[in-house]
Amino acid sequence: MTCAVRCCAVILATLMLAGVAAAHVTPPVLLVSDRDALAGQLAGAQRFFVREVRLTPGERQAIQKQTGWSPDEDFYRFYIGRDAQGRTVAATIFLTEYTVHGPVRVAVSLGPDGTVKGATVVELTEETYPWVKPLLDPQARYLTANLGKSGLDAMGQFYGQIIGSLIKRASLLYDVGVIKRGDAA
Amino acid sequence: MYGVHLSGLPPSGKLFCTLFLIGIGCGALAAFAQAATAIGLTPSDVQASLAPEMPMTHMGHGPSSAEKEISIGDISNTARVWMRTPLLIQTSHTHLFGQTLIAGLLGLIFLFTSLREGVKALIVALPFVGTLVDIGGMWLTRFVWPPLSALVIVGGTLFAVGYALITLISLWQLWLAKEAHP
Repeated sequence: MTCAVRCCAVILATLMLAGVAAAHVTPPVLLVSDRDALAGQLAGAQRFFVREVRLTPGERQAIQKQTGWSPDEDFYRFYIGRDAQGRTVAATIFLTEYTVHGPVRVAVSLGPDGTVKGATVVELTEETYPWVKPLLDPQARYLTANLGKSGLDAMGQFYGQIIGSLIKRASLLYDVGVIKRGDAA
Repeated sequence: MYGVHLSGLPPSGKLFCTLFLIGIGCGALAAFAQAATAIGLTPSDVQASLAPEMPMTHMGHGPSSAEKEISIGDISNTARVWMRTPLLIQTSHTHLFGQTLIAGLLGLIFLFTSLREGVKALIVALPFVGTLVDIGGMWLTRFVWPPLSALVIVGGTLFAVGYALITLISLWQLWLAKEAHP
């Protein structure tokens, strides 16, 4: 009997450890599919193109110097919407930041001159969702006007900054990888 | 083991083991549903989430760019998890800890069943091996050869079979077997 009680005590202690481990598993929350994000952000376009850009070491260095961020993907993919005459309507890129609470993936829409037209959070995690949720409903207005001034809690503000930095990266990548190469037309 | 057998546990011990096994089963079902909706349950689904992203255009090696016309229908309309290296590291550390602890607790209960040592060793190893094959398969898919995504399915199946055997045998010995031990 004493042995059985000891066994139960060991099981209980290990169960608590399992609980601690399980608490760190954060399932993803997928808010919108890539196709739906693109259909919204490239609205008005009649033809769609994929432009893939592999940065030169010099371009990577220039971005790192400007922002402190080192582009580390092998290549970056822009989805470009054009009208019937072949003029660029908008371009969209999906970028992800991997935080300790899980990934935040954002689709950023840019005009032909690199102006940010909009941003959509497409994926985050169950843990980050409550922090980011206040940003999602008035998303566009928040990102353009109220970043950091909306009375969000600290985590909400932190994730607002993460999303803001992803938008800046998107703009920079389009500028360096497309506009400055003369490929924006 | 050490003269203690599941069939000889007091009612509180039997209840504890039973509820734990049922709870883990419910958790496993929820995990299965999550895997099915977020990633998919076929090797090709796993490969699509884990394998390195390949260019859609005919972009060569080295600094360059390329463009290709697509139809908006070519883009996935299903929300899918893109598991890149940082997320793979995060998933590996949580699942290796979590699943190994679950396998350990299941094994701890199972050690007190009255089975031959060889059979017991084989069954108790299944959830551990399944976990290693599952997580190892993810890394091999990403960095070695995408078709190795089949290992992720094999690993998950081994874990599930191990859990099912451990639970069925343990519950049978807890509540239905008589107290006669080999």
